[in-house]
Amino acid sequence: MRSVKEMIAEARQIIPEEGPEQLEKRLRTDTPPVVIDVRDPDEYREGHIEAAANISRGFLEFRIGAAVTDLATPIVLYCQTGLRSMLAAKALSELGYTSVINLQGGYQKWAQSGLPTVRDIPLSSDQIQRYSRHFLLNQVGEKGQRRLLRSKALLIGAGGLGSPTALYLAATGVGTLGLMDGDVVDITNLQRQVLHTTEDIGRPKVESGTRALKALNPDVNVIPLATRITVDNVMDVIKDYDLIIDGSDNFETRYLVNDACYLAGKTNVHGSIFQFEGMATVFAPNAGPCYRCLYPTPPPPGLVPS
Amino acid sequence: MQATEAVKLLLGIGEPLIGRLLTYDALGMRFREVRLRRDPKCPLCGESPTIKDLSIHMSGGAACATEGDGRGATVGAPAARSGG
Repeated sequence: MRSVKEMIAEARQIIPEEGPEQLEKRLRTDTPPVVIDVRDPDEYREGHIEAAANISRGFLEFRIGAAVTDLATPIVLYCQTGLRSMLAAKALSELGYTSVINLQGGYQKWAQSGLPTVRDIPLSSDQIQRYSRHFLLNQVGEKGQRRLLRSKALLIGAGGLGSPTALYLAATGVGTLGLMDGDVVDITNLQRQVLHTTEDIGRPKVESGTRALKALNPDVNVIPLATRITVDNVMDVIKDYDLIIDGSDNFETRYLVNDACYLAGKTNVHGSIFQFEGMATVFAPNAGPCYRCLYPTPPPPGLVPS
Repeated sequence: MQATEAVKLLLGIGEPLIGRLLTYDALGMRFREVRLRRDPKCPLCGESPTIKDLSIHMSGGAACATEGDGRGATVGAPAARSGG
C-alpha cells in the first residue's frame, strides 16, 4: 500500500510542472495549450483561469476523450494547490496523453501571482432565454456569452456606421458599450442612423442612443460620452475598453483613432461608407497593417465630401 | 460587418479582417477583398517610426506631416470615402 504522499511523489517523477508565469506566457502564443481545471464545479465558478475548461477530477478520464482528441495535444491541468491535478495528470498520461503538464502551485499560486482570473456570475433565467440561440453555437456557448458580457467595446460615432453596430452589439450582449459622439440628432440623420427616432431630433445622439440600446437589452451597461474624440481625451477614453470601433465620419478622427489605438495596443475595427460604397477592415497593432500603411497622408482639407 | 468582426474579436473565434480590406458596392451588389500588407516605411508602425506619440495631432488636424511611400494604398485615395 502507498500513502498519498508517495503517490504524488511518484506522479512527480513523470509529470513536468510549470509555474503560473510560464503558463501565462504560453497562453499568449499562437499555439496555446489546452487548460483544464480539475476542481469541482463550485470551486471553478468562484474563480478560474479564463482559458480553462472545467472537467472535475471525478469525470476526467471519462470526458477527456471528447475534449481532447489528439493525444499529442499539450494539456495543462490545475486544481487549487497542484496536488489533485498532479494525480489527474498521471491518469491522463496513463491514458496515452503525451504532453501533460501540471500547473505548479495550482490556482492559488496563479491568483497570488496577480494573474487574471474570472468568476462566473450565474446567468439569470431571462439571460438563459435571451442568449439561448448563442448557446447552440459551438464557438459561442455559455462560456462565450459570459465572455461577451464581461467585454467592453467603445463605439466612436453614433451615426450611420455606429448605429447598426451598436444595436447588434447590444443585442448580442456585449456587457459594456461606450458610445461616443458630440452631435445632436438632426432630421437628415434619420434615413440611415437607425439608433435615433423622430422625437429625438435636437437631442444628443448619445442620449437617444443610450435609450435605444437599453431598451433593446437592459443587460448592457451603456456609457454615454457626449463629446467629440480629441487628442486630449482619446488615450484616457480608449484605455478602459477591450476593442475600439471606429465609425467616425472624418479623416482627422480616423487618423487620431488609428494612431492612439496603435500606441495603446488596442484593436480597431474600422469602417467607412460613401454613397453606395462601404469598406471594413481590422487594424490590430503589430498583427497587421494600420490605417497609415494604407493611407500614409491625409487628403488636403476641403477636398473631402461629408 | 463591423459588429460581426467585433464579436469575433471579443470571443477570439474565426478569422478577423486583419490584413484584409473588404469593400462593398451596393449598386453592383459586389464584395471585393483586398489583401493589405504592413508598410515597413509606415510612419507609425513601420521599422523606423516617426510618430511616437500624438503630438502630430496637437496643432489642430495637422495629421498630415507624415512620410511614407503609399505603396499600401491599393483602394483609391481616402478622399473617396467619408462616413457618418
